[in-house]
Formats: sequence, C-alpha cells, structure tokens
Amino acid sequence: MSERRLEGTGVTPLSGVGTVIWYDQEVDLPEPPAPDEVDPDAEHDRFETALDAAREELQAERDRTAEEVGEDEAAIFDAHLQFLDDPQITGAVEDAIDEGLPAEHAVREGFEGAIEQMEAAGGRMAERADDLRDIRDRLLRIVTDSERLDLSELPEGTVLLAEMLTPSDTAQLDPERVAGFATAKGGRTSHAAIFARSIGIPAVVGVGEQLLEIEADAEIVVDGEAGEVVVDPDEATRERAAESRDVEIRTERVATADGEPVEVAANIGTAAELEGAVAQGADAVGLFRTEFLFLDRATPPDEDEQLETYVEALDAFPEGRVVVRTLDIGGDKPIPYVDAEEEENPFLGTRGIRRSLGPDAELFRTQLRALLRAGAEGDGELAVMFPMVATVKEVDRSLAVIEDVRAELDEDGLAYEMPELGVMVETPAAVFMGEQLAERLDFFSIGTNDLTQYVMAASRQNEAVAHLHNPRDPAVLRAIDRAVDAAHAGDAWIGMCGEMAGDPELTELLVGLGLDELSMSAVTIPDVKANVVEIDTAEAREFAEQALASETKAQVNERLEE
Amino acid sequence: MERTVTIVPEAGLHARPASKLVETANEFESELQIAAGGEEPVDARSMLAVSSMAAEQGEDVRLIADGPDAEAALDALEEVLTTPEDEYDE
Repeated sequence: MSERRLEGTGVTPLSGVGTVIWYDQEVDLPEPPAPDEVDPDAEHDRFETALDAAREELQAERDRTAEEVGEDEAAIFDAHLQFLDDPQITGAVEDAIDEGLPAEHAVREGFEGAIEQMEAAGGRMAERADDLRDIRDRLLRIVTDSERLDLSELPEGTVLLAEMLTPSDTAQLDPERVAGFATAKGGRTSHAAIFARSIGIPAVVGVGEQLLEIEADAEIVVDGEAGEVVVDPDEATRERAAESRDVEIRTERVATADGEPVEVAANIGTAAELEGAVAQGADAVGLFRTEFLFLDRATPPDEDEQLETYVEALDAFPEGRVVVRTLDIGGDKPIPYVDAEEEENPFLGTRGIRRSLGPDAELFRTQLRALLRAGAEGDGELAVMFPMVATVKEVDRSLAVIEDVRAELDEDGLAYEMPELGVMVETPAAVFMGEQLAERLDFFSIGTNDLTQYVMAASRQNEAVAHLHNPRDPAVLRAIDRAVDAAHAGDAWIGMCGEMAGDPELTELLVGLGLDELSMSAVTIPDVKANVVEIDTAEAREFAEQALASETKAQVNERLEE
Repeated sequence: MERTVTIVPEAGLHARPASKLVETANEFESELQIAAGGEEPVDARSMLAVSSMAAEQGEDVRLIADGPDAEAALDALEEVLTTPEDEYDE
C-alpha cells in the first residue's frame, strides 16, 4: 500500500499524524413503514419535541460561540433559529406527517423542498441551502435519537474528517488530543480555518470530493504547510509529521542564553484569535489588524462596538502589551462604505495613514476615540501604530488629531488613557527619516512584507519578480539595521510584525540586528521562543554583521545554513 | 389592508433585514404577507419565503395585513424596510 496525496488548502503551518474519525452529520433512514401503520398524532408530537430540543441546542451553541468567538459568528445561529420556526418549512413537514410519513421521513421531505427553493434562488441564497441542510441533519439526529459525536472528547491522536465544520464544531476541538482535521469544503478564510490557526491545530480545508473516499480508521497525515493530506503515509512522512508538533509551549517571557530579553508576540486579525495567541505562549499582541472590524459589512462599526473589541484584547493580556494598528485599507481592500477610487497603482496609492488623514478622517477619529477609551478600561498596556507612514508631517498631523480627540473626550467627560504611539516601518522613506520619527514616538514596528516590496521595487503579487521579493536580501537587512539604529538612538523600542519575524531560521539574525520584539502568527511562537533561549547575543551580533556585509541573498542563505 | 414600501437597507431583503422582518412579523397576530413586483404574496413570517424573494435595495414591495392588529403590524414592517441597517438597535 503506497501513500496517496490529496491536495487542499493548508491553513496552519503545522503537520499532524493520526487515525481518521469521520464527523458525519448525515443520518441514514430505513424505508418508512406503510402509512396505515403510522399514528400521525404520535408523529406530530415527536416532531414538536425535536423542534424544542433543537431550539435549546442552538441557543446553547449560540451563547457559547458569542462567548468564545464573537457576536458576528454567533449570528449564524440566529439565522438557524429562524429557519427552525419557519412556518413554510414546518408546514411542509406537518403535511408530510398528515400523509402518513413518520416524523423523520417527514423532516427529510419537508426540508428537501426548502433546500431546492434556496438553491434555485442562487447567489447568496445557495449558502443558505447549506444552513438548511445543517438544520435538517440536526433535527434528524434528534428525532432518531442518534448519538452525536462529542468533539471535545475525541481520543488522542484523532484526525477529524468532515465535509465541513461549523464554528461551534471547531471551537470544541482540543489541540492536545486532535492531531489535525481536514474538510472537503471551505477556504482559507472559513470559520474553521480561522479557528484552526488560533488554536494551533494542523488543518487542510477545501480538499474536495476525494476526501470523502477516505475510510474511517485509516492512518493519515495532515500537512498544513504543504496543504495536503497523505493517506497511508510511509514511515518517513509519518515521522516528519509527528516531529513537527513536538515543541514545548513556553508561557513565560524568554531571554537569550546571556539574559537579553526578547518579547515574542502574536499577530491577530480578530478577537477570536486571542485565545489561541495566549495558548501558544504569546507575551503580547504585536499587531492587531483592525480591518476585520470594518470589512464584510454595510456600515462602519461605531465607537462602542470598537471599544468593546479593543478592551477584550487588552483583557486577554493583563500583563502584556497590545499594539493596535489603525485602519489600514487601500485600493487592494475595498470596503462598501468607503469611497475608494480605482487607482492605477494601489500599492503606491492612497493606503493606510494617507486615507486616515484624507478621505477617512471621520473613521480615523472614531477609531482613536475608541482606542483612547479602551486604554483606560482594559487591563493590558495599549499601544497604537499608524500604517504606511512616509513623512514626519504625517506623524505630526496624526499626533494633532490625537490631541484633538483628547480635548473632545475631556469635554465629553469620558475616561481615557494615552497609549504608547508608534509607526509601522514599511516605506524606505520611514527608514531614512527614522531618527526624526523616533524623537516623536515611543516605538517602531517593521512590516517586512511591504518594506521588502518597496525596498526591492518588486510587487508581492507578481510571480515574475517573486525572486526579488525576499526579506533575506542584504538590501532589506540593511534597511532593517538602519531602522533599529534610528529607533534606539531616539529611545524608542523596535519590533517586527512581518512574516519574516515568525521564520524560525531567522530568529538569531533578527536578535543580532537588535530587535526588541518579534510578532508573528501564533502557531510559530513556540518555535521562535525555543530558538531565543539558545542564542548568545554577542555571537548573534557578529552573525548579523556578516549578513549585513553580504553582497547577495545567496551569501546570506549560505551563512544561515552554517 | 395593504401598503407599498421602497426597500431602504443596502443589503436588500437578505441577511439581517430579512431576519429583522421575520422577527417583527412574529410579534403580531394578523396574517402578514409580502410581495415583490408582480409576484405572488408570500408569508412574511417565513425566512425561507422572504429571503427567496431576493428583493434588492430600491425595489418596491407590497405589504398585506389581515387581522386585529393589521395597522400596527404594517407600521412595524414598514419601519424595518425603511430603516438603514446601521440604525438597527441591537
């Protein structure tokens, strides 16, 4: 039996190996008895009882999701509750019972019409058909008294396979027991994927129909890095997968072998990811992207809604810092209520702070009000940074807006606290003006993805120049070095929140370059912390000097491999 | 009694506005129906029926009510359909 590889979309850069358990939401029904053997009154009662039980379950799941994930995700269950009480659907089920079908067959029949109606409506409605299937299967499970797989009690070393996982399913998975999961449907941004990243479970989604052919109890590897599942893996594949998760979680702060502290923080995009960041041992949040608050909605979030989210983040890190990036949108991330002109060159256009000081001035003020208030209310230390800064004037103008907002809050009699203030170093201009920026600010955070793009003048999205878009290029390393020197000369601390910060191969180099903080995807925190404690600072500095003196990316890579 | 209303929420009769309409219809005793364009009226208490209408922002819909609290029900439904989504109170 040789191994078989199935392609999907990897969502966490982790691998796991284990035994397949199918999470089967479908219930098989036997042939119905003849109509004259069925008592419609009794069947009506069974259906009513099942509806009540389903309502209770959904309400409980809704509450738990609101608690653990967020209100937006919980709203999915509100829709389910409404469909459950839909007179058109319940009416169809009751008619089928009157015609002599037992409750379970009537549920199947009644929902069939509704599902077809939704699919016929097309577009956004087709997604609702999936919701209806979900509700139908729940009712069938209850009415037939079928066992439901308890996802929080799966045996150790399980790989869970399913057509699709709902947010509440994924929230129950225990990373200590579950070696990974794979789903036939879903993409990188599906709820299941977001959860997997935040709790650190190897996961591959969107494998397609072929996943459904894998047998229960098969041995399987989920490789989130390569985005594939391997059925019947050979010895070598299995070992590689088993080793990838064998890393200790350090919840304490770490320092190099000679005692230089290095803060290891998490990048997050939603409040739902806070728990995962804490679980992976993050000391702080080094980048809280706030775009998610503004995307996928018809109107911007108001001050109170934002306040609640920021306080939630601060409360998750009572002993740490939370660095919130102000709204960073541009031509490449359209938002319905924001007027964004199509630009010739969005990456060189109206992005980040350019929008906040221009067309989005109102959004910016509201966000700053919410942030300053959150600083007074939340437990952790708040820091706020501005994206895409290129000039000293942009910083001065931003600081003036903050002063203005402070005066406003004083006038409104609302409590607030001044956060630490900083900028994302993404433009070469910010590197060259580093000394003047550091005089005005408390910290810098280097966004290496964009900094690399602008230093190398090579788009991240253009395959043809991908070879140029590499943060290991000595030109990028020299830009980082210069930013670190400028920050420290102005008594500011400096961190890094681009993908480079989470590359375990580069930890020594980055410590050698003098970065005070590294912020990354939560799943890579244990590896980076494990590297930090092994580092000798003097050696790391020498190593960084050599890398800075390199002439080519290849030379840098050679030195990294030594 | 009947009333014609133009849909204001940006999302049209999908997602939250549809949800809100069904929720509101459930607060009344009267029989309540809604119809888009020249279509057959459907039950305003059915999420399935309301969302399959796929009525968009700016479209006219007919609200039909029959029962003891018909007028109050029409007022309430009209309010849902003419309130921008960001003004819903949670």
